[in-house]
Amino acid sequence: MFRRVPYEERVSAAYFEARVEERRSLSGGYFVLQLVADEATPIGATVPGQFVMLRGEWGRDLLNPRAFSIFEVDGDRRFSILAKVFGRGTARLAAAAPGDLITVTGPLGRGFQPPRAGRTQLLVAGGVGLPPLHLQARRAAERGTPTAVEMLYGGRGRDDLLLVGDLSAWGVPHALATDDGSVGHHGRVTELLEARLARAREVGEEVEILACGPTPMLAAVRRIGLGAGVDTSLCLEENMACGFGVCLGCAVPVHGSRPYRYCCTDGPVFDAKEVRW
Amino acid sequence: MKGSAATAGPLAPTDVDLGGEFAGIRLETPLLAASGCFAYGQQFAAFTDLRRLGGLVTKGISPAPRFGNPVPRICETASGMLNSIGLENVGVDDFLGEKLPFLRELGVSVWVNFFGTDFETYVECARRLSVGQGIAALEMNISCPNIKKGGIEFGTVPEVAHRLTRACVEVSSVPIIVKLSPNAGDIVGMAQAVSEAGAAGVSLINTITGMAIDVRKRRPRIATTYGGLSGPAIKPIALRMVHQVAKALPELPICGIGGVMTGEDALEFLMAGASAVQVGTALFAEPDAIMRITEELRALLAEIGSADLHGVIGCLEAIPPEPPM
Repeated sequence: MFRRVPYEERVSAAYFEARVEERRSLSGGYFVLQLVADEATPIGATVPGQFVMLRGEWGRDLLNPRAFSIFEVDGDRRFSILAKVFGRGTARLAAAAPGDLITVTGPLGRGFQPPRAGRTQLLVAGGVGLPPLHLQARRAAERGTPTAVEMLYGGRGRDDLLLVGDLSAWGVPHALATDDGSVGHHGRVTELLEARLARAREVGEEVEILACGPTPMLAAVRRIGLGAGVDTSLCLEENMACGFGVCLGCAVPVHGSRPYRYCCTDGPVFDAKEVRW
Repeated sequence: MKGSAATAGPLAPTDVDLGGEFAGIRLETPLLAASGCFAYGQQFAAFTDLRRLGGLVTKGISPAPRFGNPVPRICETASGMLNSIGLENVGVDDFLGEKLPFLRELGVSVWVNFFGTDFETYVECARRLSVGQGIAALEMNISCPNIKKGGIEFGTVPEVAHRLTRACVEVSSVPIIVKLSPNAGDIVGMAQAVSEAGAAGVSLINTITGMAIDVRKRRPRIATTYGGLSGPAIKPIALRMVHQVAKALPELPICGIGGVMTGEDALEFLMAGASAVQVGTALFAEPDAIMRITEELRALLAEIGSADLHGVIGCLEAIPPEPPM
């Protein structure tokens, strides 16, 4: 049922050192960490949804690198991640100062497909799931087709919705939802999605769903997307030690010829039909 | 062959010869990639120079493919990590057909880790693997904590380990190295039992059974509740076990494993009595860790004036006694 693709054919990753160039604080405890490598790396070929494994000079306390979706790419030396302090690894990165050395493995995994003509991509982002979809929207705008995508973006409150001005500046259609009603729809982003799918159905518009966010949100998006018969891609997150298919820690339960696939090498973007939730 | 204290002054790193042997197997350096931390090698080709490894130990192979345990399978702990992957592997046939040819071409010592789910499948696995071209040794895993069905007895009861080792040695055309469990009550007794059964050497240690709890969810952090602890957290225990076995069984080759992150860590294992060392968990964070560790070991041997490994393997000296009161 699934084609077996040798890892090295679909990913061109490298292990390299980079320096922190800038750390920008955003609202809601989020931050953007911009890194730059001394030499050219494969990072320039990043597909939205692909990720990097990052580790600072952490000694033997925090042993493993941490996985982050790639947020922005500038040439083949410079990229950034967008994160929020969640545990000890993100706390270390949030405290990084310009000049700090970070080791990077990436770009890793398989990302999202670009938009196809005549089919709108609904980008459903929840909270910390913004980075790959923000990059997907940016790419659509750079190709001169900002309306090939449409962002549905939800968070707890106004402070959790980041860089919405970028979407406006790029001409990417978007709708917001907050749990506290401080901005946009008062409710869940999945309610926006249901309404948007109903509208598409009425007018016979062809759409697909690309989603990234907390697991309960992704489970709801999956149910809605599959229920509506709409192609749905989910960008997942799992504990990873290596990020390149060795530790086998990031198994994702799937349907098909085998019970598990790997978030790092088979994903992190999965077809919602395949995911066994 | 145990060394004596070095007396010479510092050398240049280029004067240090890291070559040696383990149970008759030639190793260009004493550093091998450990089982389960290296998969079948291909993934590392983009990140490191595989030809400069001393050797490598494959993911554990069973007669039939296995799909592994439910998620979550791993979590990080203080200076270490827990895993319960569940011995996922491609099985003997796919290993020999699809994985081994790549490894054979590297020109480094290839050790194939293997296991069964009962006595018969262990022996079957050893027999079918040992015909593979380019395999230097089989590393028999009798110590994985992540397999249910009676697996624990192979690694903790010397008589059972002896019987299993003998049966596998009889059907194998390459040396069998037995990877021992730190969860055994008597590590020396286990080493002696497998040595007498014909094991060419022992690898020690495998992971130590442990657990971690997510207090907010009131759940274990890995799905199987208990998993194997690896990383620098277990190094002192591993060193102690290597030293105990080396003292009791000076002729038995020992491959030291447990939290090696630096050349100094590796040298500690050599001085404790190991004649080779495996690097595992470090490879996840740093895919070319073994290249760095190799150069650190070379520089350290130069610094202490040892031109080769003979001068350091098992060279540990006692702390002098205090004067009487």
